[in-house]
Formats: sequence, structure tokens, C-alpha cells
Amino acid sequence: MVNISSEAKVGLFVLVGLIILGYMSFRVGQQGFGLKNGYTVRAVFPNVAGLDRDASVQIAGVEIGRVEEIQLQDGQAVVTLRIRPNVKLGNDAAATIKTHGVLGDKYIELAPGTNTQAFLKEGEQIQRVESQADIDRLLRQITLIAADIRGVTSSLNKAMGGERGEASLGEIVENARLLTKNLNALVVNNEEALRFTLGNARQLTDNLNRVVVTNDAKIADVMDNLKDASKQMEQTFAQLNEITGSINRGEGSLGQLVKNQETAQKLNQTMTSLQEVSDKINQGKGTIGKLINDEQTARNLDETIKGINRYVSKSEQFRTYLNYRGEYLFDKSDGKSYVDIRIQPKEDRYYLVGVVADPRGRRTVKERITNGVMTRTEEWEKDGLLFNAQVAKRFRNVVLRGGVLESTGGVGLDYLMLNDRLKLSFEAFDFNSDDDDRAHLKAGMEFQVFKHIYLTAGWDDFISKRSNSSPFAGFAIRFEDDDLKYLLSSVPIPK
Amino acid sequence: MNAISAALDGLGKAMMSYVEEMGRILLLFLSVMAWMFRPPLKARNIFKQMEFVGVKSIFVVVLTGTFTGMVMALQGYHGFRMFGAEALVGSTVALGMTRELGPVLTALMVTARAGSAMAAELGTMRVTEQIDALSVMAANPVKHLIVPRVLAGVFMVPLLTVVSDFCGILGGYFVGVHLLDINSGIFIKNITKLVDLGDIYNGLVKAACFGLILSLIGCYKGFNARGGAEGVGRATTEAVVLAAITILISDYFLTAIMF
Amino acid sequence: MIRLEDVHKSFGRQTVLDGVDLEIERGKTTVIIGRSGGGKSVLLKHIIGLMKPDSGRIFIDDVDIAQLNDRDLNEIRKKFGMLFQEAALFDSMTVGENVAFPLREHTPYREDEIRRIVSERLQAVGLTGVEEKMPAELSGGMRKRVGLARAVALNPEIVLFDEPTTGLDPVMTEAINRLIIDTQKRFQLTCVVISHDIQSIFEIGHRIAMLYEGKIIAHGSPDEIRTSANPVIAQFLSGSIEGPIKIV
Repeated sequence: MVNISSEAKVGLFVLVGLIILGYMSFRVGQQGFGLKNGYTVRAVFPNVAGLDRDASVQIAGVEIGRVEEIQLQDGQAVVTLRIRPNVKLGNDAAATIKTHGVLGDKYIELAPGTNTQAFLKEGEQIQRVESQADIDRLLRQITLIAADIRGVTSSLNKAMGGERGEASLGEIVENARLLTKNLNALVVNNEEALRFTLGNARQLTDNLNRVVVTNDAKIADVMDNLKDASKQMEQTFAQLNEITGSINRGEGSLGQLVKNQETAQKLNQTMTSLQEVSDKINQGKGTIGKLINDEQTARNLDETIKGINRYVSKSEQFRTYLNYRGEYLFDKSDGKSYVDIRIQPKEDRYYLVGVVADPRGRRTVKERITNGVMTRTEEWEKDGLLFNAQVAKRFRNVVLRGGVLESTGGVGLDYLMLNDRLKLSFEAFDFNSDDDDRAHLKAGMEFQVFKHIYLTAGWDDFISKRSNSSPFAGFAIRFEDDDLKYLLSSVPIPK
Repeated sequence: MNAISAALDGLGKAMMSYVEEMGRILLLFLSVMAWMFRPPLKARNIFKQMEFVGVKSIFVVVLTGTFTGMVMALQGYHGFRMFGAEALVGSTVALGMTRELGPVLTALMVTARAGSAMAAELGTMRVTEQIDALSVMAANPVKHLIVPRVLAGVFMVPLLTVVSDFCGILGGYFVGVHLLDINSGIFIKNITKLVDLGDIYNGLVKAACFGLILSLIGCYKGFNARGGAEGVGRATTEAVVLAAITILISDYFLTAIMF
Repeated sequence: MIRLEDVHKSFGRQTVLDGVDLEIERGKTTVIIGRSGGGKSVLLKHIIGLMKPDSGRIFIDDVDIAQLNDRDLNEIRKKFGMLFQEAALFDSMTVGENVAFPLREHTPYREDEIRRIVSERLQAVGLTGVEEKMPAELSGGMRKRVGLARAVALNPEIVLFDEPTTGLDPVMTEAINRLIIDTQKRFQLTCVVISHDIQSIFEIGHRIAMLYEGKIIAHGSPDEIRTSANPVIAQFLSGSIEGPIKIV
């Protein structure tokens, strides 16, 4: 084999890997493509048990979107649907929750609506909502229908059954035979008269034809009316057909249901409990192992807390954040850590208290007066912690901070960008650092990479004269206490 | 009483040394992060490590991935047949591979192959004073030795995971469709229907974390090896054990957070 | 040039350096002798900043390197070259790459210039045509010579030798000693050599210092040391088992 360089081998491997990844993503993600920039509409359901986020939204069985969010509002479920941008829904569209099979996933079926003039726009609500076809309700109806049919058949049975019935049936048949015989005789005997009648009829049609030709327009009107009438008839028939059809489909079990009331009841009970089981499984989001009670408890807890929050105040939500930040100081080859708690009583104001472990440690200044001359000595206590206690106020994208920074007085300024994901900050403190050194200035930025993880970099003490200056890089972890609660309650049960 | 307090004392000391070790690994991580962004980085070193960690692991990863997928298909088939749900075999294999087995098995194989080698190589360099020699020549050992290895781990393990996922699904397909006669169209349709992009990508994020863990721990153990050949051997063993355990534990938490 | 003041270092409960005071003169070869495991290597590692003292100060050209951060320390280190006990060649690189390493790290030279300097340095230690060999293919003496070539690649002012002749046959020992003397003269180097090979000590050393129980107990010219009345030195030089040095 020819000597291939590592670069070429690695490059080839990366290329192959990316192609496979691209292929897999494409195959798997086809349904998801184009969804990101779609629009959302809302639908309010009385009950969405078993419906999950990311459940499919379909028209005629074709996926056209996903469920984005489910929220509770005034005792009803508000479902937000994200729809592909190229799918238009009329403002008379209707939404139904349906199920794949008996235990399958729930999804939302949309009827796109017939109005081609006014379409639903971003954030608007689907007005027509049909609640899901409960298996429970379906069974009850089937039972009713079965009872009716049983009535009909039993009275038929009464009419037909027994010797009397047989006799009367025989009579009917005999009558029918006589009737047809007579008819036959009538036709044979009156052949001549019939032929004459037919001749008349032909004449009549001829005449009619003439009349028709001369009264064409009028006839057309009549025909139109007739057509309308027949259309209505057709619809009526179609509906009738549907009804009989559905009875027909229930035929197999119906026969049994009809024969034995007890069996029917048992079947009914079984189906009901099956329905309950499947409901529970569905609520458990597909994981049977997940303890249903636990989740309910958590939900109750959540509700209670929400209630308390609402009670305390609707607009002023008290929030607390836990924050850890580690910075690696390049030029000192050492780390600097911050741990603090941020208490945010209002959206635009917070208090921050915490400790800092600086590799330089804590400075203590001793003043001694000997012979009337004051000497000051500085000492650095390596393991000493520094303290932070700050008040901060936010004006739009700018946060002003002040108070105790690393155990000295100081101020700070933050500028927030990209929906608060990027923070540029500048701090100045330790102004009265005596004699030789200048104030401690620190500039840096912090970028949110994941939900709770931030990367940070900057330059610490950059105007220091004591070679304390160093660029740094590190990361931070920040939890809101809500998140902490969430984390604690959800960690033990990964799906 | 004395025995109890001695035992407690010992336990406390063991805890402390574990915590200290974690702290040192974290510090090493921070310093790796720091040096990573300080040019110049020697591309050739990085490529050499990428070749070692990535290209040379392809064979084992393909093998483990394929057979894992095949076994999953076989086992899943017997389970699902009881419910008449054989069609779900495909999506079970695909979900299992992309979410869990692909990243974890790949990371464990790479730990065994490359993580141990990192510990052994750096350990040897430590006891033969080659690392000191680097420092003496004013070349930072973290930047020269650890940064390329960590970069290789972070980038190559996800790529290997992609290969493993794919081979696992192919293996499952082979067993399911050709040996067990599941309809191929349904097999594939269930995969595309039930597997999300998120499953694949979260699996890859996991894999990157595992790559970081195994390379960092391998380097840490090697870098701090002491005491000749025996010390190198011990460092290698400890690196594999600690990395494997850390990968499995962190897998749990990553899963809990991501899915 | 190099000055150590009251340097202390201990590992756990074991005190290795217990107040070392030593001044090393510019342009001379100073040999530090002492017992095996007596802290000579530790002392050497302090001089080049691989270890930091628990207390005390180490001046290189009047800069206290115990207080420096990594970046400044690296600047100081460019003045140094060091030959390790087992040469410490990078075994993933060829001999040529090993010698070229410091040049590639710290100089803007082009590749052909580097190649020229490498072969020049290798020639200076008596090796030719070994650039493409791997360190594992070389004998111990050759490895040491390559190590020396690498140590002087950047024209350092100070070269440290950690037991340069340990584990070599007498002929190779003599060859290495010659090489050290030649190199020192040619580049006017300040050399610090650690050794307990008595013959070599007097051959290469301008000044000799004895480290015993964490302290420098004597420091002088070879003649002064040879005629010293100190019983420790007398016993060490004669290699007798009778005397104040205890055999543990």
C-alpha cells in the first residue's frame, strides 16, 4: 500500500463519517424539515389525555406539523400546533384528537376547512374542535344500537315464529303465487288490448315530444328542480347508508351482543377497564415503568407552588439562581472560582452574594506606628476566601452593579446581547489598593452554550503593575432554583 | 470504638482523595481549554492523534456496532413476537444504537484501545523524564501532549459513534429482514418514523463528552504516573477503570438531562 | 550567575533540601556530588524551575525564579539546556526531529536552516547520518550524545547535566567527559554537573560542591576538596564504609 499521510486518512474518515451522518439525518429528519420556519395556530380541547409534545399533526394522514406546546388555561388544554409554512388552513378548519390503533400514539387530525378566502394566521385559534372519539362512548352507543336491533328482531321473531306464524307465512306465499298467476292470465287474455294501449302510448310520446320541443326552456327548469331534489335524496341515502354501514361493521360482535345480555355487559366492562389501562399507559408517556402516582404528586406540588406564586404576586416573581464559575488564569496556571447566589425579586433588579477563591488569596493590611512613622505591611493569606455582595439594576440591555467585589468596594457593568445569551462585562474594584498597584479592572464575556452551561473568557486585572494580570478562560454553571427542583425530581427517571 | 473511628477515618480520607483527584482533573481540563486557544497549535500532532484515536479504531467499532445491532434485533424479535409487534424491531435497534449503545460502546472501545495507550505513552514519557525535557525546553507539556489528544478524543469519538450507529442499524436490518423475514419497507419506515434527529444528535453530544472524559482521564493518569514501569502499568489500569466508570455514570446524568 | 539562598524542600515528611546555599560561577563547570538519592536531582530541578522550593530563593541572573509565573519562567528557560539521566529523547520522533525540536519551537528558522544546524550539532557530538534513526535504535552512549546535541541546539548559556556518565562503560564515560569539557570550552558555557563518579568529577570540574543531608557542606576547587579534612568528604572520596556516612 502506498504511504498515505495521517492527514489524508483522518480527512477521509471525517468525510465518510459526515456523509453517513448526513444520510441518517436526512432519512430520519425528512418529516422535520421545513418545520422550523412554519407558523403556529392554537386549538382548545376539553381533554388531551395522552397527547404529547411533538405529536404528529396530520391532514388526511399526511404529516403537516407537530404539537409544540400543551398548556392548561381555565381548566382547558390549549394546544399550540406548528404547521409547515406551505400548508394553508381555512378559518373554518377543524381539529380532532385521534389514535393510531387501540394503544397507539395520539395525534391531531385537521380538516383544512373549505374557506379559501380567509386563512388562519400565526397565533390564531382553530374554532372547530371535536373531542376525541372515546372508546368508552363508542361502546355505549354500540350497546344502545344493539338493544334496538334486538327489539326489532325479537318482534320479528314473535311475528314469524311459532305455528301461527308459519301458517300465515304460508298464506302469504300462497297469495303471492295466486297473484302472479292472475297477473299472468290478465296479460295473456288482454294481449290485444295491451298492444292497443302501447300504440296509444307511442302516439302520446310523440305528442309529448312535440310539446317538449316547443316548451324546451320550461322543461329545463323542471328538470333542474328534479335534479336538486334527487341530489337531496342522494345525500339522505348516503347518510342512511353510513348508518347501516356502521351497524353492518359491528355485525360480528353484534350477533353475540344481541344473543346474551350478560356477555355484552362483561365485554363492556372489559373494554372500559382496557380503556383505563391504556389511558394510564398513555399518560405515562409510553413508559409503563414510570410511576403514575409520582408524577401526579409532582404535578400537584407544581400546582401548589404555582398557586402560591400567584398568591404572592402576579407580576413580581421572586427568583433565585445558584451560580458556579471557574476561571483558568493562563499566566498564573491556576484557577479562580466563584460560587454565588443571585436573588432576583424583580425582573430588573437582583442581589448577589457569594465567595471567591482567588489563587492570590486575601490581602490583609497591617498598620504599625513606630516612632511616629507609620509602616504598612501587606500580607496575602493563600487560603483566604473573598466575598461578593452586590446590588444590580437592569436598564434594557445594560446591568449596573455595585457593592462589595472580591472583598473590596467596586462597580460593574454588563451588556447583554443575543437574547441574554452573550454577556460582556466590565468590573472595577480595589481602588484604594495602596501605594504601587492600580485599581483591579476585569473585562470579559460569557456565552451560554447549553441551558445551564456558560463559557467565559477575558482578561483579569489588566492594568496591574504587579504582574497580577492574566487572560482567563473557563466555564460557569447556573441553575434557577426552579430548574434545581426540576432536575432533582426528574433525574432519577431517565426515559 | 477505635476500629470504627479508624474505618471512618479511612473512608473520609478515601473520599477526600477522590474529590481531590476530580478537582485536579477539572483543573487539568481548564488548563487544556486555556491552551487549546493559544496558537500555534501543531496540526500535525493533532492529525497523528486523530489517526490513532479515530482511523485505527474503525475496525473494532464497526465490529462491535454491527454485532450489537444484530443481537438487539434477535433479542427484540423474540420479545416483540409475543405481541405481534415484530415491525418495531427496526426502531428499537435504531433508537437503542443512536441514543445509548452507539455512544457508550464506542467510548468504551476507544477507552480500551486509545485511552489506555494515552496513559501508557504519557506515563512512559513521565518516568523517562521526557515530559520534564519538554518543560525544560520551554515547551508546555499540556499544550504539546494533552491538547492534541483531548481534541482527537472530542472529535473522533462522535464520528466513530456515527459509524457504530450506522453499522448497528445495518446489522439489525440484516438479521431482521434477511434472517427473521420482517418486511424491509416496514422495518425502515418504523425507523424513520420513530427516530428523531434529536436522538442522533444527542447521542453525538454524549459521545463528544465521553471522548473528552476518556482522553482527559487517560492523559491525567499518564501525566501523573510515578515509579517506573510498574507505575506506568498502574496508571494505565487506573485510567481504563476510572474512564469506564466515569463514562457510565455521566451517561446516566447526560441521559436524564437530554432525553 | 546562579545563586541559591536557603532553599528548603520536603516531600511529605521527608526533608530533601534543608537550607541549601550555593553560588555557581559564570563560565565554569560546577560539579555537585553527594549520595545516591540525596537530593542532587531535586536540586537540579529547582535550578531550572521544574520544582518550586517550599521556601528560599533561587536567582538566575538576579531574577528570583521561585516567584515567576509560567510565561516569564519559560523566557528564563531559553537560557538553559539540560541533559537528562536517560537522555529523555522523545521516542516518537526521529533523532533529527529531537534535535530540531527546540529550534522549531523557539526560532523562526526555515526548514533547510534547521536541518543544517541539526547536522552541525550532531557532528559536534561525533555523530553523522543518524538523523533518520529512532532513539530506540541507538545505544546508551549515542542517546546521551544526541541528548547533548539537543541541549545545546539553542546556544544556551547554562547547561545542566544529570549524571551524564552513569551506566556507561569506561571508554564511553571518558568520551562523554571529553565532550563535556570540549563543549564547555567552545561555547563558554556555565555547566552544572551532578555525578558520583569520582574519576569524572576531578576531570571535568572547576568547582566542586558536596550535598549532604540537605545542605552544601563544602564548596571549592578540586584540590581543596581532595585535601579536605572533612570526614564526610574523605569517606565519600575514598569510598570507605567506615565513617560518618551511614549505610542504610
